[in-house]
Amino acid sequence: MNGFPLLSVMAFLPLVGALLIFFLPKASQGFPKMVALISALGSLVLSIVMVIQFDPNAPFDANNAVPFQEKIEWANGIGISYFLGVDGIAVPLIVLTTAISVIAIIWSWDTVKMRQREYFIALLLLETGMLGVFVSLDLFIFYIFWEIMLIPMALLIGIWGSTNRVYAAMKFFIYTLLGSLLMLIGIVATYQTYFQETGERTLNVLRLQEGNYSPTFQFWVFAAFFIAFAVKVPLFPFHTWLPDAHVEAPTAASVILAAVMLKMGGYGLLRFNLPMFEEGTRQWAPIIIGLSVIAILYGAFVALVQPDMKKLVAYSSVSHMAFVTLGIFLLSLQGLEGAMMVMLAHGFNTGALFLLIGVVYERAHTRQISAFGGLASRIPAWAAYFTLFMFASIGLPGLSGFVGEFLVAIATWHYNPWLALFTFAVVIFAAWYMMWMFQRVVFGRARGEIPDPHDNALTPEEVEMLAAAGDDGHGGHGSHAMPLPVSGGSHDAHDAHGDDPLDSSKWHDLSKKEAITLFPLAVATIVFGIYPAPIMRIVEPAFQRLLALYN
Amino acid sequence: MIVDDLSVLPLPDWSLMLPQLVVFGLAILLLAGDAFLPKSSHYKVLTTLSIVGYGLAMAALWTQDGKNAPTFWWLFRADGLGVFLSLVILLASLITVFVSASYVDRLEGRMPIGEFYVLLAFSTLGALLVASAGDLVMIFVGIELASLSTYVLTAFAKRRETAVEGAMKYFLLGIFASAILVYGMAWIYGATGSTNLDVISYALANANASSSILGEPSLLLALLLVVVGLGFKMAAVPFHFWTPDAYDGAATPVSGWMSVVPKAAAFAATLRILVQALGPMADDWMNLIAVLALVTMAFGNIVALSQRNVKRMLAYSSIAHTGYMMVGLAVAGGIAGFNMDATGDEGISSLLFYLFAYAIMNLGAFAVIGWVQHRGRGIMLDDYAGLASTEPLAAAAMTVFLVSLMGIPPTIGFYAKYRLILAAIQAGNVGLILAIGIVLLSAVSAYYYLRLVATMYFSEPSQTPRETKTPLLNVGIAGLAIATILGGFLFAVPVYNLADRWSRALEIFAHIPGRFF
Repeated sequence: MNGFPLLSVMAFLPLVGALLIFFLPKASQGFPKMVALISALGSLVLSIVMVIQFDPNAPFDANNAVPFQEKIEWANGIGISYFLGVDGIAVPLIVLTTAISVIAIIWSWDTVKMRQREYFIALLLLETGMLGVFVSLDLFIFYIFWEIMLIPMALLIGIWGSTNRVYAAMKFFIYTLLGSLLMLIGIVATYQTYFQETGERTLNVLRLQEGNYSPTFQFWVFAAFFIAFAVKVPLFPFHTWLPDAHVEAPTAASVILAAVMLKMGGYGLLRFNLPMFEEGTRQWAPIIIGLSVIAILYGAFVALVQPDMKKLVAYSSVSHMAFVTLGIFLLSLQGLEGAMMVMLAHGFNTGALFLLIGVVYERAHTRQISAFGGLASRIPAWAAYFTLFMFASIGLPGLSGFVGEFLVAIATWHYNPWLALFTFAVVIFAAWYMMWMFQRVVFGRARGEIPDPHDNALTPEEVEMLAAAGDDGHGGHGSHAMPLPVSGGSHDAHDAHGDDPLDSSKWHDLSKKEAITLFPLAVATIVFGIYPAPIMRIVEPAFQRLLALYN
Repeated sequence: MIVDDLSVLPLPDWSLMLPQLVVFGLAILLLAGDAFLPKSSHYKVLTTLSIVGYGLAMAALWTQDGKNAPTFWWLFRADGLGVFLSLVILLASLITVFVSASYVDRLEGRMPIGEFYVLLAFSTLGALLVASAGDLVMIFVGIELASLSTYVLTAFAKRRETAVEGAMKYFLLGIFASAILVYGMAWIYGATGSTNLDVISYALANANASSSILGEPSLLLALLLVVVGLGFKMAAVPFHFWTPDAYDGAATPVSGWMSVVPKAAAFAATLRILVQALGPMADDWMNLIAVLALVTMAFGNIVALSQRNVKRMLAYSSIAHTGYMMVGLAVAGGIAGFNMDATGDEGISSLLFYLFAYAIMNLGAFAVIGWVQHRGRGIMLDDYAGLASTEPLAAAAMTVFLVSLMGIPPTIGFYAKYRLILAAIQAGNVGLILAIGIVLLSAVSAYYYLRLVATMYFSEPSQTPRETKTPLLNVGIAGLAIATILGGFLFAVPVYNLADRWSRALEIFAHIPGRFF
């Protein structure tokens, strides 16, 4: 495979697919999704080849060839080159991206009915943008990919989203654009300072890491970069776009947003802020650690009171992703590895939770927690997956969520035990809001189900109903029973309409397609929960290199 | 230069101004064609003639490249700066023919297309003369030629009251500005004793040591008058009041044209006067331009937020882009004392490249508006509802242009903005403030550009389009869209290097004043 531009092919394969769909508008109905699936699968296969061939201990600096290096001098005059390469930080995230993209495309197979062509073009463009961010080692190229992601994502939210989609799309776009424009200033300033210092014009990230920048300069430029990444993470107080975007986005876009795009922030901090601005990092670390702890608690508290399932998961994302920034800025090996594990685990778990919410949304056309109940008996396979991912998200030992958060909490303990107290405490809150949703949606009483006569909490009304139902000689099966008031839900009149979308008794359980999308995530969350060593092996040398700068 | 004996006056070298002569010939031919050809053949023949003419003129530019020689007794200079500006102007004119032909011929009660092309050619000629002027008089003549034709073009859709109103405002404020400009030129002549740009610059530079005419109030007054006059022409705040009405009133392709060619002429005049002639006074005007730049981009972007008329929105956005371009002027380094380094001046070359990029993307946006008008839609935001589902390609092209105007990669607009920011940051603290201004206001501008994209993509269509065929316009839009995307990476660097190389030409004469006296 020597000389084969693996990274370029992997990153641009989806773009080729998108162009094919764009230029063949007259092709058959099934053509766009076929092309999308094939190109995304191609990228996935290439990314797996990359993992197999990747040598974690390979050098990663400006003076040696980096793994899978591709370098074409492009504009020597101003130091732009087409420079791609990966290290242990990028590799796991690339595989996550390609895998999640395939899952998103499979999920969209029959759920997207309106403007299919445009939809798959947007998804594929998005994938190219995301992969490009992870593989580029030239700031200019990086910035191009970074911004390319914005437009398809805004379109996905704005066209295929739910009711308040335009507002959410605009908010998402302008928030992230403002952040990245500030980063642009940071990029140019770094470039200029390096040029003044060494006389060399370059945007090569690995080269720029070698510069000596003054502490004041580092302080401000670190901030310029940091805001761009903090918006993406999103770190409190830059998070307000996230709940809107998540709630309005179509399921596949929510999954990509949660599983991959939020990771861009963490990746950016690891790739740019930490290696380039050591002094800036030291100056800002306490503030960011403080913000992260606030965000961990804040996200959890706000999640407690959400009536909407997607919003609840969105705020839980704020809470979980703050573990990433916390882990990174503790500047210890445990913290960094924990941050990486949290990123991956959050990718599997939250991605899967959004898929599961998508499943019930498809059937009920609502995401209100109060509208559901007793799904464990109605759609058991769904309930099983939901249980698994909920526990993984809470951080149950043995599942992927636990590894990362535990590592970060340990690292926090070494930093400051009192701070660690808060991070441990949040597990309780996470269990609280998740269990609260879980209990009502998965157990609880299903709509139209006969109340249990031994239930002590029956209202007099319900007792009466129960008596009437018993007199009729039915009993037992809820589906035949007269409609009964729903526990905990709205007591408004749901007449005996057979087409009530909320009537879960008519729902079919997970379809084959839905199961295909969920299964790999379930495997991943269990395998890496029990045996995270393969990931550690890949990322550890990269983090050792990073920490060497700080000792 | 003082010539005592007219008989020793050298003859002008006509070959040096070949492109300008081609455009002049084109204008004459168009006039003749308009007068003598049968009306039914005007559309076909005159359109072809215009396209060929501008194409030939662009080809002829290469005879000027690398010459760096004056002719017509230093009234005209065939230098690199002139060549690049001429390239932008001719390209814009060529594109305008493509995107305006069907509009002029079919919409707004069939306007006379022959006259339209004649005015376009004369206006182009005026702008070309400013771009290559070596003398204040020449600059003024060029600006007036370009402006007078543009006033008429603005009123060209004469059945619409808004067109006449816009043209009237433009005309009155324009001649007022011209008067102020020429008054400023008179003061410069009074202070330095010449209208020749190089002589002025030489006089100012050598005045440094002995006399103190640099601090003369009369010179400062002259500077102020000139800046005010030029500010009107390039639509800088607070001299922008004609812009929204003129852009809104004019026929759509004319609005696009106005946002590029007269603006290019105004920037050409500004570069010639401020940088070339008044370069030694750079300390005086740089901060002035910096403040104007900041005010202009802030005002343009913020007012554009509340516009629901798409043409008006683009008019304010055009003001904002004037502000961005002025940043290039404000950070032009190394002017005072003629010590430009060999790589050319970043500020000026980024300004030149921005002008080029702006010509492509803004003409494209106006072309799509015209295209949509052909299909019976209006120019309000609501008229664009659901464009993406009825006319997906037009919506996609418009999105490309708007994204480029926002300055998002991988479009040409991003590369232009990137170079501008780069030039600004190199210029120290003032530049840093300007760079931060550019990025913050770009984020503001994203809102109104994006609102149009959102209307096109996120709303349900409210109108059914009228079926019609516009082959020439389609070619124009497709070409511009491809150039906007490819310009972001494929040929951005070569074109920029061209601008960079040509921005260097300013110094040539400054270095050899001895030849002159």
